[in-house]
Amino acid sequence: MTYLMITGRTVNQGVTVENKTSAEYAAETSTCFMHEFDMMELGLDDGECIRVTGPCGEVVMRVSASEEVETGTVFVPYGPYANHIVAAGTHSTGMPDFKSHEVEIEPTDEEPKTVHGLMEDLGGLAYDR
Amino acid sequence: MTELLVKNACVIDPLRSINAETMDIAIRDGRIVEEVSGAAEVIDVHGMLTMPGGVDSHTHICGTKVNFGRYMSPEDMRAGRTPRRGPLHATSGYSVPTTYGNSYRYSVMGYTTLLEGAMAPLEARHTHEEFIYTPLQDTMANTLFDGNWGIMEAIRDGDTKRVAAIIAWTLRAVKGFGVKLTNPGGTEAWQWGKNVSCIRDPVPYFEVTPAEIIRKVIEANELLHLPHSVHLHANNLGTPGNYTCTLGSMGLVPDLNKKRQTLYATHVQFHAYGGSGWPDFCSKSEPIANFVNMRPQIVMDMGQVMFGRTTTMTADGPMEFNLYRLHHEKWSNHDVELETGSGIIPVIYRRKNLVNSIMWAIGLELALLTESPWQCLLTTDNPNGAPFVRYPEIIALLMSKKYRDAEFATVHPDTAARVPLPAIERELDWYEIAVMTRAGQAKALGIQEIGKGHLGPGAYADVAVYPIRIDEVDPSVDHQKVIEAFGQTEYTIKRGRVVARRGECLIDGSNATFWVKPKVSEAYDMGKDPDFIEKFDRYYTVRMRNYPVQEEYLNRNRCIETEAEI
Amino acid sequence: MIVKDAVCPFCGCLCDDIEVEVDGDRVVAVTNACELGTKKFMGEKRLKNPILRDGDAWKDITYDEAARYAAGMLLSAERPLLYGWSGTHGEAQCVGVHMAELVRGVIDNTSSVCHGPSILAIQEVGHPGCTLGVVKNRADLVIYWGSNPIDAHPRHLSRYTRYAEGFFLDNAFRDRKVIVVDVRKTETANIADEFVQIKPGGDYAVLSALRAIVRGKTETIPRTVAGVTREQLVRVANLCKGAKFGAVYFGLGLTMTRGKYKNIRNAIELVSELSRHTKFTISAMRGHYNVYGSNEVNTWMTGYPFGIDFSRGIAFYNPGETTAVDILARKECDAALIVGSDPAAHFPRKCLEHLAEIPVVQLDPYPNATTAFCNVQIPVAVTGIDAVGTAYRMDGVPIRTRQVLSSGYPSDREVLLKMYTLMQEGKGQ
Repeated sequence: MTYLMITGRTVNQGVTVENKTSAEYAAETSTCFMHEFDMMELGLDDGECIRVTGPCGEVVMRVSASEEVETGTVFVPYGPYANHIVAAGTHSTGMPDFKSHEVEIEPTDEEPKTVHGLMEDLGGLAYDR
Repeated sequence: MTELLVKNACVIDPLRSINAETMDIAIRDGRIVEEVSGAAEVIDVHGMLTMPGGVDSHTHICGTKVNFGRYMSPEDMRAGRTPRRGPLHATSGYSVPTTYGNSYRYSVMGYTTLLEGAMAPLEARHTHEEFIYTPLQDTMANTLFDGNWGIMEAIRDGDTKRVAAIIAWTLRAVKGFGVKLTNPGGTEAWQWGKNVSCIRDPVPYFEVTPAEIIRKVIEANELLHLPHSVHLHANNLGTPGNYTCTLGSMGLVPDLNKKRQTLYATHVQFHAYGGSGWPDFCSKSEPIANFVNMRPQIVMDMGQVMFGRTTTMTADGPMEFNLYRLHHEKWSNHDVELETGSGIIPVIYRRKNLVNSIMWAIGLELALLTESPWQCLLTTDNPNGAPFVRYPEIIALLMSKKYRDAEFATVHPDTAARVPLPAIERELDWYEIAVMTRAGQAKALGIQEIGKGHLGPGAYADVAVYPIRIDEVDPSVDHQKVIEAFGQTEYTIKRGRVVARRGECLIDGSNATFWVKPKVSEAYDMGKDPDFIEKFDRYYTVRMRNYPVQEEYLNRNRCIETEAEI
Repeated sequence: MIVKDAVCPFCGCLCDDIEVEVDGDRVVAVTNACELGTKKFMGEKRLKNPILRDGDAWKDITYDEAARYAAGMLLSAERPLLYGWSGTHGEAQCVGVHMAELVRGVIDNTSSVCHGPSILAIQEVGHPGCTLGVVKNRADLVIYWGSNPIDAHPRHLSRYTRYAEGFFLDNAFRDRKVIVVDVRKTETANIADEFVQIKPGGDYAVLSALRAIVRGKTETIPRTVAGVTREQLVRVANLCKGAKFGAVYFGLGLTMTRGKYKNIRNAIELVSELSRHTKFTISAMRGHYNVYGSNEVNTWMTGYPFGIDFSRGIAFYNPGETTAVDILARKECDAALIVGSDPAAHFPRKCLEHLAEIPVVQLDPYPNATTAFCNVQIPVAVTGIDAVGTAYRMDGVPIRTRQVLSSGYPSDREVLLKMYTLMQEGKGQ
């Protein structure tokens, strides 16, 4: 199924933002908030894993039911998980489309990677594993 | 010890009544001295015109609104660019250059001292940060009190001493130099989207009039014995028929100070308009100049307009909104809590536009009709009337009837019927220009005693040597030579060092900031006044302890202490 | 020891009424701050010393070695990128500009991925704004548009709007109306008097509709606009026109969605239109505590607020070309200095793939996502905790942060000055 992915700041993302290698930061920024109806359609329960595929890749997140989002839309706290699939085009503004990406979502048995894991996938070397 | 001897200078130094005498200027460790040793470095200037370093007593170069002018105007930044080279940093901008751009260009024109015309106290730290990056001039800031709640309340209560006490506390806290009133009362009314029409209109809620604000703040200013007088941007700027309001404001001013004026009226060109609307808009420079001629207690500056593109910026928020509705260009506004406001829009002054042509004429008329050059100083209210790089052209216009006539022939044809300019024969001389660009400005600011604006022993060794011999050039004919000479010094010397030569700045200097600390008695220390503290805590969004500008923000700290009468 | 009136270095609210209790070199309690600020003051797990990536391992190095590495990297680069700057003090940002100028690099700050589009809009139509205290004391109508202060700027509501005392309001909580416009029913929407829910991407249309209604063209408005009913639009427009003082605070909900800077332009033009009827202002909810300062510093020193390219010697500005995401995605830069931000957490993956291929030096107190892409990371003092310096609040008010404890870490400015001095020597100056 196709959804509109919106990213944004949350308190939990904010309180963990100075400690981005923590499990709490990873948990918060790998959470995909979704409307219950959409979850039912995909056969998802709260906390289950999903594969989110964007224009330039895929990433595994955990779904969380939310009344704040409309059906057809998902919300992901701003961070490395969402950015793993966000395209870098800026339409000559300097700003990527952080709040208007169409993504495919499907259930998966895989677990979300750690932030370190994501960075190492892209050629980095984690420091304090 | 470093010594420098400038030999064979043709010196005009009005504060010492020196008019074109050939002499040597001796400099030691940044100050003018009687004589130097044989070891001094010698610069022979071969009879070139030599004056004290230029002083601009009203310019907008640093701080929140100036920087916003840059921020919103990449097109202006592109219009003036130089790369980093040698000790010099890159510059951008034409009408609102970067701090380095301002500093280098002023220095090339021989200016060594600048007064930022409007600093909101709450944002003073910003102005001082930019001063640090204005390396080749000493700087000072007029501090805005036009919409200050505490002051308006004290005026309502009839307590002039409290007005003085609030000014004293604020100047000290924000490291300010002088007291500025911009559209007094109007900036507070504008925080409700309103304005005051002239000096008798009460300010909403506070129920004081601009006239009361002007008069009481003048009295407070003199109680504090500040070096500079109150610096007034009158109400009603830029509207047809506003000259009556200007005359009314000037009429409020008693003569309270023997050393200097009691009121500095700024950019009076913008306040000398006749007519009942734009269709019959005309010059009223004559009544204004006549009025000033009879009142030694008033000094004004021109606020000359020059044709071309520039950016207007002022604390006068409502005026900028009116201008926006005329021009439909981009508009910025920034109101400052409990204190003042500001607005910015870009403009183009056009020769083909009748109103613009009349404005151009009025500025010149004020300078030519004011008998004493000490009472009408040369400014453009940079960049409001024009960027300061246009000063040399203004000097040439004032010195040459022929040049004025030639320019007049190019402006809107109906201008002649609306202005007295074509009938004015006066041509200013070199001495008068020296008064209007340094000596008069230093005197008006009250900084001649601390060694600015003259070349007497003990003065700061700020010297401008212009590549022109005044015995060989007739300015009434050779206006092009005048423009070239004032556009680019042979030498600009700042605090005893050559900082600019023939259009090139040579060093990355460091300036000094002049500020004023009035000493008041314990009873008038607002820092200990319970009512003042309580209101501050409740209505400002910055804590009182975090408000004062720390001395870390002053490059070289030149504190002027005054003994207040309170 | 208790430090009073400390300045919180988290978000653009720059709250300066924080009380911090310190025991030796540790913060033990924080009063008045929100959850975000408290967490920042109590921050732990700092990097202990500079580190260097050595193949597949990390080794400790000295500050001098790290500075030499950074200076050498920047001097030998053909197109260095100097990015970040929002999480440090203005004095350090100034050194950064001089460094970029010296090596003819590109200097950009995080506003290119937050309110850069707002700046582009301001450069088209200007910005009618004011300081936060003007709103606190006067506003009887506040509109949060595409911003969610409860999550991102938690004390904005209590210090300046919904729950703040105001000089000209008898009962501020009752007399001040709050409208929230968003695509999600956020926490902030729950405390609003009126919530306007827009379909994603519909902000521009809704702003245009409001402008039309304010201009008296209600009959041109269809029954719904981007999911918002005409009745609600008319109600909102009337609330705006009827207010004595209205203030709009917009967030990334406008800058990051379709239309980007055109959304902001439309919002500003709505406010300019409303200014003909009553008093109205608009301001951006700036994120990092000193992102606005990086715009200010860059502007007075170079003429432009972000995205400045010195490759021609002069300052050149063209967002979309000279901004960090674009330069990384085009694989253009050949070295990067990162200060006071974490691009690896906040940039699209394509940018990170290039970061992995070039030398990177980062100044940051903590290991973060970008650490993985660093050749060298240099821990520095945190401005507002163990370093002082200037920060500009979201409304342009500059405040000097306080130092609440001594840690022995050098400040960003000190480390950058050391690099800059080495670079000047390297250039023979």
